[in-house]
Amino acid sequence: MATEQELSDFLKNVEKRAFKRSVYHVRDDEAALDIVQDSMMKLAQHYGDKPAAELPMLFQRILSNTTLDWFRRRKTRNALFSNMSDFESAGEDGDFDLLETLESSTNSEGTESAQDATERAQILRQIETEIKELPGRQREAFLMRYWEEMDVAETAAAMGCSEGSVKTHCSRAVHALSKALAAKGIKL
Amino acid sequence: MNHSPQNRTDILQDRYGLKTASYLSAGTANLPYDISERLRAARAQAVSVRKVTRTYAVVASAAQGTGPVLSWGSDESFSLWDRVGSVLPLIALVVGLLTINSLQTDSFVQELAEVDSALLTDDLPPDAFSDPGFVQFLKATR
Repeated sequence: MATEQELSDFLKNVEKRAFKRSVYHVRDDEAALDIVQDSMMKLAQHYGDKPAAELPMLFQRILSNTTLDWFRRRKTRNALFSNMSDFESAGEDGDFDLLETLESSTNSEGTESAQDATERAQILRQIETEIKELPGRQREAFLMRYWEEMDVAETAAAMGCSEGSVKTHCSRAVHALSKALAAKGIKL
Repeated sequence: MNHSPQNRTDILQDRYGLKTASYLSAGTANLPYDISERLRAARAQAVSVRKVTRTYAVVASAAQGTGPVLSWGSDESFSLWDRVGSVLPLIALVVGLLTINSLQTDSFVQELAEVDSALLTDDLPPDAFSDPGFVQFLKATR
């Protein structure tokens, strides 16, 4: 059973990412705060006696479900599930080369100047904008897989879908992001 | 080592995803103060209502024989010396009762013997005490 300290440490570790993820989904700070708070309460009330190792998976599921509940309550289904780009074929990226968008990654080491910090902040804003533009399922899969660093099986379990679907969502999300950012002259 | 085009694409895709996530992680460090405080308050509230299963823990410990319960039927947790130690007070009680009973019986028999010997060694024959005339004589002379 997770101790009170373990639960507190876990929540402290995930709360900011959970808030930002919710913001990307619902695009409203107040609603995102409510969703994160509800998720924390549900985790503590219903699963506070679970082992600490089980908390991350449980919290991701609860956060996803709470976000879905928020959309249901607001009856605004357009943000998560009705985006028609979910049904686009995977092959339409043509000869887009993902490697080209990563080529500048090796020269970013060293001390960061004020100009570098400003550039990073601008890149972050662009990334956040493009993530908000992703279809809901792609965004969810992408953030769980790469930001929460969950593996494919864990992401599939948390999203309630197959591992193949997770791979497809992630692939499409990465291609959409890299293509959109490359169009703005951003290489990561 | 597999260098298939699909594998290469997967690796590049993962690298790009992780690189993007690193920017996002850097961004979470600069959340506004009020947001951070509200998240902290929400966390504290959640921890305060944490589900705790203390009762289950007590039952579990009792079932394992670690709790303060009697377990006569359990051979594992009750050794021979424990059993002897438990029965010893009962044996002492029984022995004590038997001793007291024996002493009282001896005392009663002793008293009877003293009376009998007094009667038999007296000058007066025992039959005299059953004679109504002799009893009347004793009353009259007192």
